[in-house]
Amino acid sequence: MNMHPHRNQVNVGTRHKRIDALGKVTGATIYASDFSLPGMLHGRILRSEHAHAEIVALDLSVAEAMPGVRAVVTAKTMAFHRYGNLVKDFQVFAEGRVSYIGQAIAAVAADTPEIAEAAMQAIRVEYRPLPAVFDPIVAMQPDAPVLHPDLLQYKASPLADRAGNRSGRTTITVGDVEAGFRQSYRVYEHRFRTPPIHAGYTEPRVAVAQWDAAGIGTVWCNTQLLFDTQAALAEIFGVNVTQIRVIVPAIGGGFGGKLRIGMEHYALALARVAKRPVRVFSTSHEELSAALFRYGSVIEVKTGVDREGRILAKQARAIIDTGACSGSGPLVASTATLILAGPYRIPNLLLEGLAIYTNNHPGGSMRAPSGPMPNFAIESQMDIIAADLGIDPLEFRLRNIIHEGDLSATGQVMTGVGLEECLLKAADAIGWDRKNPENNRGKGLAIGAWMTSRGSSGAYLKLSADGRFTLMVGVVELGTGALTGVAQILADELSVDVADISVVSADSHITPYDFGSQGSRTMATVANAARLAAANLLGKMRPLAAKALGVPEAELQMRGKGFVAGEKSISFAALAAQAQMSAGGLIAEGTYIADPIAYDASRVRNHFSPGWPSPSFHAHAVDLQVDPMSGEITIKDYVVAQDVGYAINPSNLEGQIEGGVVQGIGQAISEELVQVEGRVLNANLTDYKMPTIMDVPPIRVVLVEHPSATGPYGAKGVGEPSCIEPPAAIANAVASATGKRILDLPVTAEKIARA
Amino acid sequence: MKQPAPDNAATVMAFTVNGRDVSLSVRADITLAELLRDQLALTGTKIGCGSGECGACTVIVDGAAVPACITPALLVQGADIQTVEGLAIEDALHPLQRAFIDNGAFQCGFCTAGMLMSATALLKQNPHPSEADIRMALQGNICRCTGYVQILKAVQEAAR
Repeated sequence: MNMHPHRNQVNVGTRHKRIDALGKVTGATIYASDFSLPGMLHGRILRSEHAHAEIVALDLSVAEAMPGVRAVVTAKTMAFHRYGNLVKDFQVFAEGRVSYIGQAIAAVAADTPEIAEAAMQAIRVEYRPLPAVFDPIVAMQPDAPVLHPDLLQYKASPLADRAGNRSGRTTITVGDVEAGFRQSYRVYEHRFRTPPIHAGYTEPRVAVAQWDAAGIGTVWCNTQLLFDTQAALAEIFGVNVTQIRVIVPAIGGGFGGKLRIGMEHYALALARVAKRPVRVFSTSHEELSAALFRYGSVIEVKTGVDREGRILAKQARAIIDTGACSGSGPLVASTATLILAGPYRIPNLLLEGLAIYTNNHPGGSMRAPSGPMPNFAIESQMDIIAADLGIDPLEFRLRNIIHEGDLSATGQVMTGVGLEECLLKAADAIGWDRKNPENNRGKGLAIGAWMTSRGSSGAYLKLSADGRFTLMVGVVELGTGALTGVAQILADELSVDVADISVVSADSHITPYDFGSQGSRTMATVANAARLAAANLLGKMRPLAAKALGVPEAELQMRGKGFVAGEKSISFAALAAQAQMSAGGLIAEGTYIADPIAYDASRVRNHFSPGWPSPSFHAHAVDLQVDPMSGEITIKDYVVAQDVGYAINPSNLEGQIEGGVVQGIGQAISEELVQVEGRVLNANLTDYKMPTIMDVPPIRVVLVEHPSATGPYGAKGVGEPSCIEPPAAIANAVASATGKRILDLPVTAEKIARA
Repeated sequence: MKQPAPDNAATVMAFTVNGRDVSLSVRADITLAELLRDQLALTGTKIGCGSGECGACTVIVDGAAVPACITPALLVQGADIQTVEGLAIEDALHPLQRAFIDNGAFQCGFCTAGMLMSATALLKQNPHPSEADIRMALQGNICRCTGYVQILKAVQEAAR
């Protein structure tokens, strides 16, 4: 398929309005949390109060006897199988032992949420505390308490290299890092720490579940991954995947925090016992204390440079605190190795990603899951080194960045590399060369790269008798506008208006398979599947049109929402009506997955993502002021220059980038789930400080377009990357403004004032 | 701990919602958000945090933007309530709704109803707000998608 047609472009490349706009501004859109069924019960979950303890006694009798209680479910109620996306180390309910605060012990379904709450609180649990470990560095010691004594017996991905409290270890080795350090003029070593943070989606996780007479359990929920959720639920309940139906009506944000099952398994278990529909809605406290957070991490970086500021060697490791279950940890630690390398040419590398169990709450995959933590570390250290060498941070980066055709750390040949243009444009826009006008004011830079994830997509496309096309896809419109972009593309390729395209999505029994709304891949992959479906559909439409008009196919032209040949014409509507009479209508399919990316296997061990399809490149620049007394940061100007490949819809791209930057600013200066011995102390939105409209600086977005060879029209993934660089850019600007270098996120006013 | 309400705790209430008179029996222990969503099927008003911190449930009561998820339903006896469902008149969108669409001021859309209601209350009291006024009026509404940039632009455009 020609990925860069750039012809007959009417809608592609324009700021077309979102196709889901009307329902969202009028309140008509039904989200998962708006969904209800007749006779629906309400579920609540009893969660562990101990980080590591034996359950000595569990007394359900008072709860079970309460009027209005319809089901109380524990690990003993039915056979629940262990689950987990890489290592099967999750239990639906604790079995004899809890290993984190917030772990589910029992669930209750009752006529009202109030009765369910009262019944949940009436369950008595007696614990015997066990030694626990909360710091991943401590958890790696041989004498640390072991979280999973049977770890090697669990089913797991072959890439999850397990031992002790480790669920995964990935390495990248290039050249000879020790020799590189010996040749270096100077060598720098730093350790950075980043805390867990919440994805911050505004709609809490919710599920409404019901089992029908045929034994099919249907769940209406707000997952980002329809088919992963379906598979996980089938595994847990020991049924075939088609005995689980997952439907996402609409979703109120995700940002990776809704990739893996949240409330679905509890709702299904309760519904099975109660024989009634059950809704389980995550409370605000549960969200902030028992969700799948962005992992906390420890990042160690050792870098050697020559006198001219060229990086000769880097040894680094990302230690990911997965909490008590590995979740996405082995993958996140693995991908982190490529962020540790950074978008730089470095001849000698020894990079390690470790996923380590602790008794903290399990985390997950927030937006660019491996990105901000290592990027904060390496880009902070770049500025430390530049300052020590007396080289301008911009110049230091320009001397080391990768260019078209360079190799990545895994040996992938990098193409479509717009990094230098991003860096120069961001620096220019922020006025890098201009001296700071005031005291305590400083500028900072940070750069990075990210991938457009693979994974396959299917698409069905049908033409109806009104001449309109319906696209059916298995992804969820997260709000990125990806499906608007897909509709723009289809409209152009079918010579109709965007309004002639409707999209049906996210019903596992109706829509085709899709890897899901994750990894900046939705537009890149779904659009290509939809385009192939359109080509296949046109392949069916053209012979019918030619026959109807009595002309050779070659004379047909698409025009005016139909086919034209000289004086003769037939509308798509008429064609569809004819096809419905003669051949069951017009429908076609398309499937797509990006080709695997070649890399040098001798460089890597146990790598989950060694080749990056359609890599994107980005440079962030910030100008800020720090109050010398309070340490408070005021951002004066923020610029992102991002290589998006090609902008299918510039408005939606800008919205993605601005939103990511503001998440990144939160991560940089205010967001932290404060944990003491595994307990989140700030599990409410007053004490967990997400940015509000009061915190938002002017943000300017510069779109850079170095096309991808495989993305639709050259587009690269855009959803995730803009949250990667703000912590480093801001920390660097703070150091420039104050001379104070903060190595632990967030860079709070308090830390600056005390430094 | 919130105890189940006895059945006899219901009160007959009369108020207006989006210009229509409503009279119905309301339990003493429910919130305005539950009343709107569960009894009047006005699910445009969202429940996010359920504790008055995120703003997704914002509605207008007698001209003021309030978080419906922590407003006891019994307090709206006789009140004039406006929800997102009442913004458009027939098919004609409210200028704020149009500006939100034109400026891409929402993505997932879950905070949108609350944002629109906070902004509507602001523009009613202050038809020509400064940027600082807009920020003050929307500071209780969390949006995690947009970064607020386009929301600010949309409200400014609607106020012009």
